Parts: sequence; C-alpha cells; structure tokens
Amino acid sequence: MTSTLPRRSVGQRVKRHDGDAHLTGQAVYTGDVTVPGTTHAALVRSPHAHATIESIDTTAALAHPGVLAVVTGAEIAAVTDEIPHGLDAGHLGGHHAVVRPLAVGKVVHVGEPVAAVVALTPADAAAAALLVEVGYDLLPVVLDPDAALAEDAPLLYPEWGDNVIIAREVGPDDFDEVATSAAHVLDGELRGHRGNAAPMETRTYLADWDSRRRHLTVWATTQNPHVMRTVLASTLRLPEGSIRVIALKIGGSFGLKMYGNREDFIAPVLSRLVGRPVKWVEERSAALLPAARDQRLAYRVAFDDDGRLRALDVHAVSDHGAGAATHGWGMAHVGALATGLGYALDHCHVRYTVVATNKAPWVGTKPFGKESATLLLERIMDRIAVTTGLDPAEVRRRNFLAPDAFPHTHTSGLELDSGDYAAALDLTLELLDHPAARAMQSAARAEGRCVGIGLGFELMPESADIPGALVAAFDTSTVRMSPSGQVTVLTGVTSPGTGNDTAIAQLVADELGVAMSEITVVQGDTDLCPYGFGNISSRSIITGGNAAVLAARDLVATLHTTARAMLSAGPEEAIVLGDGMAQVAGDPERALPVPAVAGAVHTLSYLLGLDIEPRLESTRTYRPANVRQVPDELGRMNTYTTYPYAVHASLLEVDPETGSVTLLRHVVTHDCGTVVNPMFVDGQVTGGVAMGIGAALGEELVFDADGVPASTGFKTYLLPRAIDLPRVELGHLCTPAPGTPLGAKGVGEAGFSGALAAVVNAVNDAIAPLGAALEATPVSPPRVLAALLEAGQ
Amino acid sequence: MIPHRFDYVAPDSLAGCIEALNTAAPAGGDGEDARVLAGGTWVLPEMSRAESRPARLVDLRRAGLGGVTGTGSGLSVGAMCTYAELLASPDVLRHAPLLHTMAEGITGGWALRSQATVGGSAVSARPQSDVPGALVACGAVARAVGPEGERRFPVAELFAAAMHSSLLPGEVLTGFDVPSTAGAGSGYVKLKRGGSSWPIATAAALVRLGDEGVCRQVSLVLGAVTATPLRVDVDAALVGTTPGDDGVREAAHLAGAAVDEPWDDLLAPGSYRAAVAAPIARRALTMALVAARTTIQETRA
Ligand SMILES: Cc1cc2nc3c(=O)[nH]c(=O)nc-3n(C[C@H](O)[C@H](O)[C@H](O)COP(=O)(O)OP(=O)(O)OC[C@H]3O[C@@H](n4cnc5c(N)ncnc54)[C@H](O)[C@@H]3O)c2cc1C
Repeated sequence: MTSTLPRRSVGQRVKRHDGDAHLTGQAVYTGDVTVPGTTHAALVRSPHAHATIESIDTTAALAHPGVLAVVTGAEIAAVTDEIPHGLDAGHLGGHHAVVRPLAVGKVVHVGEPVAAVVALTPADAAAAALLVEVGYDLLPVVLDPDAALAEDAPLLYPEWGDNVIIAREVGPDDFDEVATSAAHVLDGELRGHRGNAAPMETRTYLADWDSRRRHLTVWATTQNPHVMRTVLASTLRLPEGSIRVIALKIGGSFGLKMYGNREDFIAPVLSRLVGRPVKWVEERSAALLPAARDQRLAYRVAFDDDGRLRALDVHAVSDHGAGAATHGWGMAHVGALATGLGYALDHCHVRYTVVATNKAPWVGTKPFGKESATLLLERIMDRIAVTTGLDPAEVRRRNFLAPDAFPHTHTSGLELDSGDYAAALDLTLELLDHPAARAMQSAARAEGRCVGIGLGFELMPESADIPGALVAAFDTSTVRMSPSGQVTVLTGVTSPGTGNDTAIAQLVADELGVAMSEITVVQGDTDLCPYGFGNISSRSIITGGNAAVLAARDLVATLHTTARAMLSAGPEEAIVLGDGMAQVAGDPERALPVPAVAGAVHTLSYLLGLDIEPRLESTRTYRPANVRQVPDELGRMNTYTTYPYAVHASLLEVDPETGSVTLLRHVVTHDCGTVVNPMFVDGQVTGGVAMGIGAALGEELVFDADGVPASTGFKTYLLPRAIDLPRVELGHLCTPAPGTPLGAKGVGEAGFSGALAAVVNAVNDAIAPLGAALEATPVSPPRVLAALLEAGQ
Repeated sequence: MIPHRFDYVAPDSLAGCIEALNTAAPAGGDGEDARVLAGGTWVLPEMSRAESRPARLVDLRRAGLGGVTGTGSGLSVGAMCTYAELLASPDVLRHAPLLHTMAEGITGGWALRSQATVGGSAVSARPQSDVPGALVACGAVARAVGPEGERRFPVAELFAAAMHSSLLPGEVLTGFDVPSTAGAGSGYVKLKRGGSSWPIATAAALVRLGDEGVCRQVSLVLGAVTATPLRVDVDAALVGTTPGDDGVREAAHLAGAAVDEPWDDLLAPGSYRAAVAAPIARRALTMALVAARTTIQETRA
C-alpha cells in the first residue's frame, strides 16, 4: 500500500507553492491593500544637495482640494524620537548621525524628504506637494571623498568636526615587514562606482492608526517585520505591543527593504498624526537614491615568483553619502573582513574610511560590500598572472586554501567552515572547455578581434550576527499540526520573493512525511509569527529552515509515540512517516494516515494512555554553533555562520571600434552545501550573475555638478535585459556546512561578486593586446573605448 | 498618476482637434497650454512626473491620422501610425525597408510598439531616437495642419533643435510622404549601451547602384550623434565608383569628420558619439551596399 521509505522532497525541483498566484497576478503585494478610509501621502523632497531650511509655507498646499494635512520635519520631530540605528558608527569610534523621518533644519542630499502631504487621492497629494514652498539657504556641496576630506571642506554635520563617518582597520598591519622578503610588490588603485539594488517593487506602506485601541497596523515592504516593529515603537514612543507589522509578498529587495531606513517611518508617523490610514508608495526616482559599492581601493600586494600571495595592504575609501540609521556603512566593514578570504594569505591589512558626502546614503545592498573585496582579489590574481607569466587559473589554484585547511581563521577573524575551491575552479574550466575557449580566443585575435576570458572567485560570508544589533545568526520557527493533519509553519524569517517559504515547506514535509499541499507557511506577521530577524544575509533556510526542522522533529516524536500506541507496535519496532502515512517499519499492513494519528493526539490521549504532553506544536530556535563573538587574543570575532563560494568564467568579445561588450558565455560552479531546492538555488545564482553583470557593464548612479541625480529611472539607470545576457551555465558542488542539521549554506547573495569580477577581468583580457587596461567600473562602452583610444595614442 | 487636473477631448475630426488646440480650456484645470496626445508614451509619463502640466489634452486617436498606405510613388505615413503598423505593412517593406528595419529595433516590446506613434516620436525631436534620422534618410516630406491651413516641408526642417520641433503653436503634424526607395539598398545600424538603452548613435544609409554596380546615388544620415539628424554628403567618396572597402571607409571618415558638435548625455559623452560615428556609418553603408547588390541580382534573375 505504501513504500516503507519516506519520499524526500529536499533536493528536488519542487515548484513554488504560490507560483500560480504570482503568474496569474493574484499574489497580494503591499500596494494591493487598502482599508476603508485610506488616504495617500506624497513627499516634498529637497532639490538641493546641501542647504539649510529657512522656511516652509504650507498655505497653498493646504488649500488644494482633498488635502487633509501638510506635515513638516520639525512637526514630526516634536512628537517622535530619532530613528534607532541598525549599526551605530557612533558606538564603534565613528560619528553618530541623528536621522529623523523627515529632514529637520537642513538637507544633506537631493531628494531628502522635507515635508509630507496627506490627501484623499494620490494625485491630490502629489499636486499639493508641488505647492509647498520651502525656502532654502544654499550651502557648498561635497560630492566625492577627496572634496569631503579636504582641509577646509564644508561639513555635512558641523558638530562632527569632519566628514568621516567611521575609519577602522582590520587585520595585522605588517605589510612592510613581509614585503621586504617577497619577490614582487605591485601597487594599484581600483575604483568602484555607485549602484543600487533596483528591485521591481519600490518601498510601499499602508499604516492604520486606530485611535480607540491606540494601536497601529502597518503593512510594509520590509525584510524584517519584527525588527521594524521594535524600532517603530521606539521612534513613535509606543509600546511594541501596540504595533502590528505585516509584510506581504515582496517584489524584490536585495537589502533595500532592510530595517533602519527613514522611509519605514513616514506612513506610520503620518497615520498617527492624521488619525487616518495613510498609504505611501515610493517614487521610482526616489527608489534609485539609496546606494552602495561606491568605493576606491588603493592597494599594495606582495607575492613570490611562484605566484603565491605574501601580503596585502588595502585602503578603502567609501563615498557613503549622507549619514543614515541603516547598516549601510557596515558594507565597508564587511568588505574589509572578506578581503582575501579563501586564499592562503597570512598578512592582510585593510584600513577603511567611510566618508559623508552630499548624496543619498548607502543602504545595505546585495552582496553587502563583499563584491569590492572579490573584485580586488580577482584583479590582483590577474595582475600576478601577468607579472609571473603564469596562467590566471593556475595563480588562483596555487593560492586557494586546500580542502583540508578547514576550519581556517582568516586574518580578519572570519572562520571558514568548509569548501573545495580548486574543485570549483576545475569544474568551471571543464564546463567552459577552457582549452577550446583559449584556442577560439587566439583565432579571434589573429583576425584582429578582441575576445577575452575572465575568472572570478567569490566567497560570501553569510548568515551574520552583529553583537548588540538586531541582526542575528539564529531564528525561530513554530510547526503546528491540526487534528485533520494540516500543518502550519510560522517562522521569523521572511521571503523577499525568493521562495524560501516553499523550501521551508519542503523541509517540514520531509520530516513529517506529508505532502507539501498539507503545509501552510506563514511569514511576515508580527502578531502571528515568532519574533525573528527576517530576511538578511542569506539566512532564511539556515536559520528559519533549520529551526522548522527541529520543531518538526518534536512533532515527529509525538506522532511516533501516538502511532506506536495506535498500531500496538512493540518497543523494538520503529515507526516511519512517509507518503502521508505512519507505519511500522517493514510492515506496510500496519499503517495509519498521518491525519488519523494527529486526530488521536488531540482526541484520544487518555484512551491511548499517552505518557506525553498531547501537543502537536513546537517552537524551536536554531542557533549555529560556530559564531564567536568573544574576541580572540587579536581582538577578532567570527560573525558569520556559513561560507558559500563560486568560481565564474566569462567569455566575451569587445568591439574595439565602439567599446561594446558582447557576452558570449558565462559559466559558474557554485557550492552552497546541501541544496533544498535546485530550482531556487539556480534562480538565485542566475539572478545574482545578472545583477553582477549589470553592475560591471552599465548600472551606474550619475550626478551633475550640483549633486542632482541624473539616473532617475530605468532609461538612465541601465539594468541588463534578457537579450544582454548569455544563458548562465551552472555547475554545482556540495560541501555540506559541518555541524548543522541541514548542511545548507546561504545562497541569497551568490553570483553577483564573481560575475562582476569575471566580466571586468575578461574585458581587460580582451583589450590587453591593444595595450589598454581598465581599473575602474563600470566597464561601459564609453569607458572601454576611452581606454582603447588612450592606449592607441 | 497625473497630479494635476486637466481637460481631455478626443474630437472625431482633424478640424475638431485643431479647434480644440486653439481655444482656451474651460476653467477648473490648473495647467498651462493645450497639448496634443498621440500614443501618450511620452506625454503621459511627463505629466505623471509633473514635468508637463497642460490645461487640456487633445487626443488625436479619432482624427483619422493612423496607418500607412502605399501611393503610386511611395508611402503615406499617418502621424498616428504606430511602429507595429509599420512592421505589419508590406508597402513599407517594398517602398521603405529602412523604416521596417528601424521599427524592428524599437524597444519596449509590443505594448510600446503598438502604442507609440511615428508622429509622436518625430514631434518629440529627441536626439536619442530612431525615427528622426530614419525619416530624414528616406527623404520624407512632413505635412502639418494648423489654423492657417496645411504646410508641407522636408522632414529635416521639423527637427529644429534637441527636443524642439518646428511645428507652430496650434499645429498638428498629420503625416509624412515618403518617396519610394525601391531598388535601392538600405542599411540601418543602431548602437546602444544595452537592451534598455536609448540609441547612442544610428546610421541610416541608402545606396542605389547602376547596372554595372556603379553607385548612382547615396544617402547617409546619422542620428543620435548630434542634436538633430545629421545628413552627411558622401557623394565624393562613392558616387560614380564601384564601391569597395576603401570607398566605404572614406565615406565613413567623412561622416566622422562631419560631427563637430556631438550630443552629450549621461549615457554617452559627446566624445564617444563622435568616435563611434565613423564605424557606425561604415557598417550602415556596407549593409546598404550588400542590399543594393542583392537587389540588382534579384532583378536580373
Ligand atoms: C518603453 C519605451 C521604449 C522606447 N523605445 C524607443 C526606441 O527604442 N527608440 C526610440 O527612438 N524611441 C523609443 N521610445 C520613444 C517612443 O518612440 C516615443 O515615446 C513615442 O514614439 C512617442 O509617440 P507617442 O505617440 O506615444 O507620443 P506622445 O507621448 O503622445 O506625444 C509625444 C509628443 O509629441 C506631441 N505630438 C504627438 N503627436 C503629435 C502630432 N501628430 N502633432 C503634434 N504634436 C504631436 C505630443 O504633444 C508630445 O509633445 C520608447 C519609449 C518607451 C516608453
């Protein structure tokens, strides 16, 4: 009647449980929600990059039809507290920025919200916002770190005394000693550029203040509903229990919707002030303000004739933009932690300086600063190859940590758990057919064509825990089975559109031996789900998934005991759950449907004489064991849980007359340990590659000389389209995360960094015969052509 | 979502449209002038961003300006003709294959191609667009009707400056007469920064060869490289010769040298546009030559 072995869905290409709803437009996003009496907000934004606010005249706006209120930053400041920081630079030796929902007194970047209008329709709100008259006194602007660090630079925050948000060092400062004995020392500078997460859905909120209950319900596009509630309560001066945050389906996020952004506070504050439900949908141009990746890396590297790295010294200067309450600046820190990771490098020192400028601030953006570290090391590998005459692949192979080197503590303190980097390189080269690709390149060069091959090794520390901050490496899930055998999973992790809810359902289905269709996963509602940290740092399967597995195993124990009693199984006989049945192992005739057993737990516990708590519900927290925050003798910590990695190869052609880049092939071998659902992993890696290629070739936030952003939409911020991308060819390795129930590693930031590096390296490989090189991104056609023309002169 | 209030009319005749454009909108709106609405793919986003606040929109959709038809000597392209209509028309393939190739490369998918109009693109006169250069290369004649009656003029005169057409206030562009280029070879090359980019440089070429493969006539127009389409006289390099690589290269060189005030925007600086003009021109001319030779072979066969 049934097989004796439970059927596993883990590892299978299971379709997402809500795929139909997405494909047919039935999935409910925040923008779809309205409640009776919903009103709409529009923001008045600063047209100036740096100015004091001298006056705000709301008369004309208030007279506009349908307008209920016009609220200024000062009025909000009077009734709220400042926004709590996700990661306060002020606590770590830097400066604390005071951030409020709307600007107070002065503006420090174009687009900074200054006042808000609430009206009956979105159109009336937008029209009235145009009528608010703000008087500004202009201040001189600083738009790049050089200007901001100059002796007499204008200050964004005069009380700081300078424009440095924070400056720190990671790793031992011993380059000079080591370098003296190295065969080669190279120095260089690598310039990144300003990019953005660019999710399809902009940030959207509906906040409903119920004055009778003194209760606030907020539907929000947030990755971290519980934490958002915690910080909302603080700023709004409300008890946490008076707030409910609900995150529905999210149309992409990539860090933009992590807590700490002032945007999270606008609709809630307005609703509280106006006493009506207030909806606010961020404009696309505003969603393109937050930034990342704008970094300049000056470096020195020492290596030997055999290509082996000896020491690396880096100074990273980040063009952060204005101060913020987000974790944004932390990208500079994580970039420093990740520099050199995965390579055998005993001497690695990174100094970073995060500089405030008159642009919108950095916001945590996939892959959170690690991409700069990847690009730097991968450029260095290629430069070593040129210097030593070794093949670039061979240089990497010689420098990779060996598979038996784990656990390995990097100079930054991060403790690598497992991996086989050389195997990933080998598989990538095999999938590419490296000799054939090189032969094709030689043939093309002989015809005067510029074909390039580039490699990129990425190693992403994932599932972070920041001491003292609401970013945790652990999370909590509840699994509950009803009398009819229906399973509800409530979890503290959320899905930004990745489908981890389906993957969690797979895990629970396997443990309980029931079909996926019996399982409902509830995420994102602070009234329903256990307190959790949401979706950040590729943590959802590792934390929420492992926690759900632990909780489901508690239910399994109860189901086993109950089934044993019902089936009169002896102590030596095992019960197995599978295919919706509980059966005595090896005896298919003695079996019961799981719902019958679940019903019995709820209704027959006395009759069956069960000697257990008759409960089919468990809440468990999975906390990985390898995070270490008691500093070692060098003051270092391991703040990450897993270390997935990938090796990319890009094959492309540059048109030497136009600088255009045509991607011919992109191959990636990826290892995220145990794969719960290959479709989702493939999707994450492929999407990450697309983002990385976009960052390499075109996506760039550009400003005019006054600091006014010119990239205000997708015709000026060029995302790659399907026709720009080759099919991403995937290879997989599996090195399970040691010491974890599942063995899974994070995959949410995979693909980006290695693709960025591989493409930049491949472009350089393509144009090298013409004497040209590019050590700055993006490698867009105008820049490639400029480099070629310069080389030709 | 358009923030301001405005009057909307869709008269069922051209005369009605012109009248609506030239009479004041009723009070109650808070915009400025009357504005023509064609496909709306440019007007409506501008209005949503409050960059344009017309008091009245005059929708041309019922004024009978759509479609493209073959005439004895070429094409009559209505101002409201969409890219999709260009693509579907066998007359376009026969008389102005250049317009077909141009329409094939328009981004935005079928939604955009079925909505956006040739007239709307032309009147917008944006440097970074396909239509202006293609129409100039085809030698199209524009037709416009205003309160004073109809005017006809070479389409090149429509493109007064970047973002500025030469239409008079209250005038409606009604369409274009495009002389047949049947028998000539056409080439159209567009350089972009990627799928989502506006055109950075376009080159439209038409080459007519005589029986012995001698070049009788050549027309080369660069688009997106300068504020308005740039017609380059390359007769000296090609006409009267049996064009080979050298001639084409010389013509392309003339094209590159003709760009003295390149258009500059955030997608590509002027120096880039100037640098790519010659190679893009060469590719378009080569394409047109190949097409012209094929045409001759086909007529002989
Ligand atoms: C997603 C997208 C992709 C695009 N891709 C491309 C591309 O690849 N290449 C390219 O070149 N362009 C492209 N465009 C631009 C597109 O071609 C223009 O938006 C379109 O042609 C404008 O036509 P419309 O009918 O929508 O004009 P509308 O928006 O209705 O009008 C545009 C302007 O012209 C005026 N106007 C329109 N018709 C007349 C008339 N008959 N008489 C007087 N005034 C008139 C209007 O008042 C307005 O000022 C794209 C646009 C979008 C939105």
